Amino acid sequence: MDSGSTDTYLFILSSYALQGEAWRALLSNHPGIIFSGTLTEPSQIATHMRLERVSTILIDLPAPQPEIAHRFRTLAPHWGLLFLVQSYEFSVILPLLQAGATGFISRDASVGDLARAIIATGRGEIVLPSEIAVQSLIALAKGLPVNQDKSEPLTERESEVLRLLARGHTNKDIAQELILSVRTVEAHLRNIFAKLGVSSRTEAALWAVQQGYGTS
Amino acid sequence: MNLTPVAVLGTLAEFHKEPIPYDLNALVRLVSRLHPDLLCLDMTPEQWQQRDFGGLPPEYREALLPLAYQTDIVIAPIAGEQPPEELTAPGQRGKVIKFLRRWLATLQRTAPGPDAINQGLRHLVADLLYSLGAWLAGPATRQKLREHTDRMTQAVLELARRDPGARILVVVNVRHCHIIRAALRKYPEIQVVKYSNL
Repeated sequence: MDSGSTDTYLFILSSYALQGEAWRALLSNHPGIIFSGTLTEPSQIATHMRLERVSTILIDLPAPQPEIAHRFRTLAPHWGLLFLVQSYEFSVILPLLQAGATGFISRDASVGDLARAIIATGRGEIVLPSEIAVQSLIALAKGLPVNQDKSEPLTERESEVLRLLARGHTNKDIAQELILSVRTVEAHLRNIFAKLGVSSRTEAALWAVQQGYGTS
Repeated sequence: MNLTPVAVLGTLAEFHKEPIPYDLNALVRLVSRLHPDLLCLDMTPEQWQQRDFGGLPPEYREALLPLAYQTDIVIAPIAGEQPPEELTAPGQRGKVIKFLRRWLATLQRTAPGPDAINQGLRHLVADLLYSLGAWLAGPATRQKLREHTDRMTQAVLELARRDPGARILVVVNVRHCHIIRAALRKYPEIQVVKYSNL
């Protein structure tokens, strides 16, 4: 049986040990999520983490600073950095995003939403609240050079996928919206990246918002 | 040709409303283990879009929809309309239907888990009892049932054609399993497999 799915290795950074244990209890039996460990201090990163056993870090700090995102991003560019936030305030989220955060989840979210966000960030996706997704991507794209050249036109399906990507949808969201498998969406994204000449979904999303896909 | 593997898994549907020996966690574990790309459910696109899950059977509402929400499993609503009501008929035929239903209930309630109702003699006997009940309910009911399963079969076929190679799991009332499997086998692009081989 080949499920074609890969597990997400979750690490938790929480100021309080008890809170970290609570996260472990809540998430360690979740399908697709493997619990790798907890930290209470960001300074313990290098000594306490087995780097290969991390896909997503859930960052549960009372007042998360961009410096933390920057530190993790420098240490391991491929990790998903998911921040728990009090509310989806653009003024809080944008600096974290610019520093390397890849996802945000509200403390009011459901366990299901949290699990989805952990899995998506672990795959290198950006998880943004829908209400400020386009605004955040536009702000991130500002000042970046616009590459208008496309060697090949996008198919109708690829355009649909790109439109949803530019609205901050995760692969699962896109797949559910179009009723396609996540693997098929990933294949469309790979084709899109090749046609746009970009190397990541972030670049593709930024290109798409610059071209107005997020608002169309 | 890129074959699309499709498995059809039966659930107890109406019997889940009554006390049965296995809880829905067994179904969650099974579907989680199979981890299909697309999970086809007997619900209409309108029910899905409006998140109108109140009238759905418990195995959808309490087990499969939450599982899909938290994983990569994509839900595909495949019904054209609400599933037909419970089988009924006037007079003696109605009494026999009730008797068959009691027999079915006993048969299904003694199943220890989803595996037990999807294979072996129990699966065959249940299918026979459902068919007999439908025959007793009369041609109009049979027609409704046929249209319902035809619509679901066509929806699965469309999905397979739109997303060839995707691993599709159809989870419906066990009464529809044999009909959908047989109908899907007619299409060369679909490979009907046992759910454990998906």
